[in-house]
Amino acid sequence: MSDTIKEGVDRREFLATVAAAHGAFVLGFWVPSRAAAQSAPAASWDEEPSTPEVNAWIVIAPDDTVTVRIAQTELGQGVWTSNAMMVCEELQCDWKKVRPQYASANRDARERAPEWTLNVPGSGATDPKGGGEPTFGTRDPRGISGIPDSLYRRMRTNAASSVKDGRYYLQLAGAEARERLLLAAAQRWSVPVAELTAKDSVITHARSGRTTTYGKIAEDAAKIPHPHPEQITIKSPDQWTLMGTEQKNLDVPQKVTGKVVYGIDVRLPGMKWAAVKTCPVYGGDVKSVDFDVIRTLPGVRSFVRFPIPDPDLTRGRIFSGGVAVIADSWYQAKMAIDKMPIEWTIPPENAAFNSANMREALLTALDRPGTVRASQGDIDDGFRRAAKIVEATYSTPYLPRARMEPGNATVLITNDRVDIWIGDQSPQETRYSAAKITGVPEQNVHLHLCHLGGGFGRNGNGPQAEHAIMIANANRGVPIHMLWTREEDFVGTTYRAMGMARLRAGLDADGWPIALEVRTGMQADGFGSDASFNTTSRYYVPNYRYTHHTTKFHVPVGTRRGVGQAANEFYRESFMDELARAAGKDPYLYRRELLSRTTLPYKNDMIKALDLAAEMSGWGTPLPRGTARAIALEERGAETNGMATISAMVHTVSISRDGKVRLERVDVAHETGFGLVNPLSVKKQIEGQIIWFYNDAMHQSCSIADGRIVENNFNRFPISRINEDPPQINIRFFPTQHWLIGMGHDRATSVQSGIGEAIFQITGKRFRDLPYSKHDLTWA
Amino acid sequence: MAFDLTVNRTVYHVEADSLTPLLWVIREHLGLTGTKFSCGIGQCGACTLHIDGRPVRSCSVPASTAVGKPVLTIEGLSADGNHPLQIAWTEFDAPQCGYCQSGMIMSALALLQQRPSPTDADIDTQVTNACRCGTYHRVRQAIHRAAALMKAQP
Repeated sequence: MSDTIKEGVDRREFLATVAAAHGAFVLGFWVPSRAAAQSAPAASWDEEPSTPEVNAWIVIAPDDTVTVRIAQTELGQGVWTSNAMMVCEELQCDWKKVRPQYASANRDARERAPEWTLNVPGSGATDPKGGGEPTFGTRDPRGISGIPDSLYRRMRTNAASSVKDGRYYLQLAGAEARERLLLAAAQRWSVPVAELTAKDSVITHARSGRTTTYGKIAEDAAKIPHPHPEQITIKSPDQWTLMGTEQKNLDVPQKVTGKVVYGIDVRLPGMKWAAVKTCPVYGGDVKSVDFDVIRTLPGVRSFVRFPIPDPDLTRGRIFSGGVAVIADSWYQAKMAIDKMPIEWTIPPENAAFNSANMREALLTALDRPGTVRASQGDIDDGFRRAAKIVEATYSTPYLPRARMEPGNATVLITNDRVDIWIGDQSPQETRYSAAKITGVPEQNVHLHLCHLGGGFGRNGNGPQAEHAIMIANANRGVPIHMLWTREEDFVGTTYRAMGMARLRAGLDADGWPIALEVRTGMQADGFGSDASFNTTSRYYVPNYRYTHHTTKFHVPVGTRRGVGQAANEFYRESFMDELARAAGKDPYLYRRELLSRTTLPYKNDMIKALDLAAEMSGWGTPLPRGTARAIALEERGAETNGMATISAMVHTVSISRDGKVRLERVDVAHETGFGLVNPLSVKKQIEGQIIWFYNDAMHQSCSIADGRIVENNFNRFPISRINEDPPQINIRFFPTQHWLIGMGHDRATSVQSGIGEAIFQITGKRFRDLPYSKHDLTWA
Repeated sequence: MAFDLTVNRTVYHVEADSLTPLLWVIREHLGLTGTKFSCGIGQCGACTLHIDGRPVRSCSVPASTAVGKPVLTIEGLSADGNHPLQIAWTEFDAPQCGYCQSGMIMSALALLQQRPSPTDADIDTQVTNACRCGTYHRVRQAIHRAAALMKAQP
């Protein structure tokens, strides 16, 4: 099946090489002993600190440097900074001396979470003093949610949940450490702890005038037993001093000098490179390869053929069989695999899929009875009494994440240990896959986490780790750096499912809806299909029915920024614009009135968002011909009184007569909830999501031909550039009385409906299939 | 084959096929990993560096192109991260994931060397790097700021 490299180093030899070479390798790598760690260059994945930790999140060095361990992956969302802020707020250390470091996923497999982190303080989403409503899943036998109550609990970086899930225990970790530092100082000075104060890493005993620093007392604090639970409470937002302030991201200086280590930048002694090709039709496999053709090419070492494994081994993250070529450099491996004859076994039923017949299949599914997701009143009666009926069918294409860093991972496997260097949104799951594929227990799998060059979906990682693990497993003892080409990255990824929706409303004589039927359709394994329409209509209608309709396609689907909400809010808000036009009413006031008629718990927050965005935009003031405004509501979770995030945006769009669209201005009204941890990161996330959904609206789609993804690089899958960035983005925050559910992935979905409504206002044409660039947008 | 490259004012002796793209020689042979691979077809600009003062998408030019000419990468932009572009980028907290930013900064450098006071239209035309995180809004502000900082320098 595969040749393996003969000259592999064993574990001991490898570590010896590492120890001897540490001075020469600026990137750093795992080091086995405390002594080596002290002399090794500062790398984020050193596991055994030279100073004893205060708790699993916090290490304080004698010079007062505070290392905060981050269990989520920094991929541009600012978690490296916001998680550290939450710890620092309670620890009351000097923010300038805080250094983030990745938490150990290996340790997470070996230790349970401290008991004091297990209970969420307070009483849920509307308690300002509490921890909100973190949502940890229970243990899935395939490791989807990690080991329950494992040390760092959730190490996933997904669903915009890093602040929502992590805030309470990161605040608790800071508070716990602070109390133990104070207890240690009290013990040293033999004074009551109540007489001590802590600020900016300095402990003061005012009565005696004594002071010490965290760095000087940290070693004692490490030995202090856990304090009484009453002493570790978390601050409510009115007590925050660091949280809630705009803080620049701590890693920006490294990002502007090229010094950040992404997975693709990892280099190890003796490392070989692997290039991969997988069957271009999902579900296909390798029939034959002819390695002899490339065997003598420069640098070429061997090849590894990997079939589609048992889905249980990799949680279904491998979609096609493939082959890897291993060489001394990646470019040699890539040139060689391009020349290697490969024949594929392609399932004919998968090769029969194309965009047109898939669209037909979804339309057919919409006509069949679906799964009822919500039903209120009697829609048949509502439609019978309607003065006017409006119906529209919308569609959204398959969309990849297309993050800038192509999939990669570096893996070294020996008989008793697996080491993986990777930027990963789900390290606990990767740990599970590694154990299953190699037979090495999870407790012996070590992940050395790196920054990620864009994420946009937790499955965005898969199956890069699994590919690299399978290749390295066939070459035990040799570090293998597997890197996908951009084209392979399009094949290897999962997609947001192609979707369709048919919305039908009956309006009364005044134009208000008295019946609304929503049908959404996507393949059965698609994610997030119930967002935005579930439980009840966000806009008042007495008779409501929401059904979901499915079919089966072969394209693997996963979570992608915005998940189902991105498509569903496009459908919902586009239809609201169409209803307002049909009713002859202002789209802003129409929405406002329908929100005010509901009994939704956060309806006033939604109305406030609409009012503020409208006011900011100069809603109703005249615009030049060829320019139009559109408004929309964005919400997640507003159907109940749990955690939610609410915003509204007004998009001002111009279109030239030859059909050139420009998003001129975006006015954003966004709630703060009880408090935003880092408002600067929130602004950057909003700006970024405006561009993200602008691309979804205007440019991006992946089509299917003969079962293959057609658009597989940036020449055919366009990414907008700075010349399409809106010249004006205005963001205003307004306070509300609940905790937010997150805002890193589903804001600015309204760019989609907004541009569509502007196209209608300017050109008179209504387009319901994204992206808009495929339509004729000219006007006379 | 063997050839010499001058990168960031240092001469490197390289043994590689001279048709190997400059990007891979820089990243693999010289170990300068600040210049990034993303599309491999000269589209996105993540691999932008300068040859002889001109911005080049290094994934799509053979290393031989750079023989005898000075090459500048992000690592050579400044000794300690204090180039006006780096200062301005930090001031506006421009990067998100950061992966495209080396190339973005090198494109901005080429623009400012050619047009010390760029207009928005100049930026639109000449900074054509792709950013998936959508940092463009801050990148534009940072370029204007860097232009001001560079003019203020003696």
